[in-house]
Amino acid sequence: MTSITVTINGTAYEGDVEPRTLLSDFIRHDCGLTGTHVGCEHGVCGACTVQLDGEPIRSCLMLAVQANGRSLTTVEGLARDGELHPLQAAFRECHALQCGFCTPGFLMSIEPALRSGASLEEPAIRELLAGNLCRCTGYRGIVEAVELVLRDP
Amino acid sequence: MLVGRPVRRREDERILRGEARYLDDVERPGVAHVAFVRSAYAHARARVNKNVAGGALLLLTADDLVGVQSLPVQGAEGVELLGPAHPVLARGEVGYVGQPLAAVVAETRALAEDAAELVEVEYEPLEPVLSPRSAPETLLRFARRTDGVDEAFAAAAHVVSERFELPRLVAAPIEARGAIAEAGPDGTLTVWISAQDPHRQRAGLSHVLGLEDDRIRVIVPEVGGAFGSKGVVCPETCATAVAALRLGRPVKWTEDRFENFLAAYQGRGLDADVELALDAEGRFLALRARLYADLGAYLLPTTAIPPHTAALLMTGCYTIPEAEVELVGARTNKVPTGPYRGAGRPEAAVLVEGIVDRAARELGVDRLELRRRNLIASDAFPYATPLGWTYDSGDYERCLDRAVELLGDVEPGGDDVLSGTGFAMYVERAGGLWESAEVRIEAGGRVVVASGSSPHGQGHATAFGQIVADRLGVDAADVEFVFGDSALVPRGVGTFASRSIAVGGSALARALDELQRRMDETGRRPLAEAAGLRAEARFESPLVFSSGCHAAAVEIDRRTGRLTIVRVVAVDDAGRIVNPLLAEGQVLGGVAQALGECLTEEAVVDENGQPRTATFADYSLLTAAEMPPVATAFVETPTPTNPLGAKGIGEGGAIGTLAAVANAVTDALGGRRIAPPYTERKLWAALH
Ligand code: FES
Ligand code: FES
Repeated sequence: MTSITVTINGTAYEGDVEPRTLLSDFIRHDCGLTGTHVGCEHGVCGACTVQLDGEPIRSCLMLAVQANGRSLTTVEGLARDGELHPLQAAFRECHALQCGFCTPGFLMSIEPALRSGASLEEPAIRELLAGNLCRCTGYRGIVEAVELVLRDP
Repeated sequence: MLVGRPVRRREDERILRGEARYLDDVERPGVAHVAFVRSAYAHARARVNKNVAGGALLLLTADDLVGVQSLPVQGAEGVELLGPAHPVLARGEVGYVGQPLAAVVAETRALAEDAAELVEVEYEPLEPVLSPRSAPETLLRFARRTDGVDEAFAAAAHVVSERFELPRLVAAPIEARGAIAEAGPDGTLTVWISAQDPHRQRAGLSHVLGLEDDRIRVIVPEVGGAFGSKGVVCPETCATAVAALRLGRPVKWTEDRFENFLAAYQGRGLDADVELALDAEGRFLALRARLYADLGAYLLPTTAIPPHTAALLMTGCYTIPEAEVELVGARTNKVPTGPYRGAGRPEAAVLVEGIVDRAARELGVDRLELRRRNLIASDAFPYATPLGWTYDSGDYERCLDRAVELLGDVEPGGDDVLSGTGFAMYVERAGGLWESAEVRIEAGGRVVVASGSSPHGQGHATAFGQIVADRLGVDAADVEFVFGDSALVPRGVGTFASRSIAVGGSALARALDELQRRMDETGRRPLAEAAGLRAEARFESPLVFSSGCHAAAVEIDRRTGRLTIVRVVAVDDAGRIVNPLLAEGQVLGGVAQALGECLTEEAVVDENGQPRTATFADYSLLTAAEMPPVATAFVETPTPTNPLGAKGIGEGGAIGTLAAVANAVTDALGGRRIAPPYTERKLWAALH
């Protein structure tokens, strides 16, 4: 067992983990932040995406011990003062989710691109989304949500 | 009126905040974890060495399952069931790679997986059976024919025939399967399952465990997609329940993606010969079809349903007076099959629409004109098909006209490109059976609805809320819904076959009408005065038949064989639409799955029956970057069979699009039909 401390959404979480513990399992089961989902545990679906020092990463491809001393944001940290982040609100407005299992991963993947202030057209938006799988929506609502938030941040 | 409006979903906020609780998010104190020892061979005699591996709390093999039955098998009308039901754990012989042989319980999931890897299994490999056409054993049979088929074929001016193959598919919801079982001190059992509804799971567990169903409570938490694949109890859930009863501790099974690819039941898998007889004017006289379904090694509860549905839909949208279908449900050494979105209907659409296109080509008749000549007329409903179903309503020609209009003119591609367009009509069996609903008024006039229907992404609470708001004049947001807990909701049937609005929504409408009657009778109005009143309803319905026409334009690059789907049109008639936003979402999601089926998706096994597609890297789902433009439209012919006039929209997208693209690819290839998925490799080979 190794002792680690990881800051998640501004709160420090301490834990004793096996060296092989995945970061996704640490977030979900040790810290109880179950908004981060696990869809494949082999780095393809993107459901487990969180931000490490602001950059999107797949938490199933990283060990918890590698995050020791680092700072993470998960979907639970996206809302500000209880208000949905504009991207979250746009997802609701554009019917960008059905079962919602993929949704936190999409939100955490897209949000840094919005922060960078880049102006994106549809093919580029679709490329931005192409690292995450959704089996329910056919993606149109997700593309529209990104367009909406870019238009009206 | 809220019904008919694109109301935004009330479900979304919790999900967007990461507060929704799915199966693996449910924590139970003292929980232990189970992992499975799975067959490494497609077909073998197998013996598990029962030395409990280090650290394990419990090892279960078939020998430990005294008193535990195999899974139940549900028939379908006229189907002869011949094959074995799926055992919870294999005894003596294994029938597919991934079949559970033993269950190992340990303190953590990682330890359980470690221990499972240490369990020794001795195998004596046997020859695997992989082709449904040459399989020596059958799991089920079905046949139906009208009296004049042979005469009609003998008298026909033209007979056309074609062979069709459809590969197996994986439903692949992004949340894989899972269950948590917990035994109470009084021998009762509570089981949380990632499932489509609680009641069919409970019935399955009751059968397998020999425990009365009122001693089992099934709770369905939020579910990350199902598409048919979480409809009935699975062997792993049963083993998890047995382990919890034996250990007296909660036991959790969280499936990983690899297991889901190996062991979750798959869909489609059909090889078929179809013949169509026509008169000199191009009128359809008779159809014959022989279907070989690649069912896998055992019968699961609903294995019979998809091929039976495909067989009975073989006359499609057309007047074909005589028909003969024969279904051979072959036993193969692959994971069993069951419903996957569409469940027999996409198969039927590919076969029927494919043979119609073939006829048009051979007779030199325009394919749309040939369809128009033979479509069931809009004034012919209710229409009894020769194979025994009664279509309730529809306007097939209007769907076709609308699809033609929406596809518009297609520009031919350049010299290096083969262009093609395709159209496909479809009929979808939906609804049927019954559903329940209960409405009660609580203190302060709060409305609580409990439904036997159960959501997993469709937006039941939003759509049902619209129905409640219209009938009771309350704000939809103030209505509370209870779903998915067998202890809290009335007995129901469940969410499958696109039936939630038509049957579940109608039960709700009936319960609301009954509640209104009671409020009038007792003079207790408004709602705040009616606390304590309640009403229940059970709504039973014949089958309803949604329909539609999809179209596609495609281009094949001659040099590489690469298929580009230029655009897709989906016109669907699901009767009255309660929420067009959600309905369109269902269509778009179904279309995306169908396009995956056209471009990439296929569950592949090698010559030894070893799966070659067991990760998302080798079974690839389409991403946002690969989705072509999709135009959708609804035609609304209300069904007379229920108070909402609604049919079903959950599957239409997945039904019509595959057949339309298959016809477009065949068109681009000058009439040559190949099997999906239309990969570069296959298309290149077809061109060179
Ligand atoms: S769970 Fe991490 S990418 Fe799928
Ligand atoms: S909403 Fe279900 S997987 Fe995306």
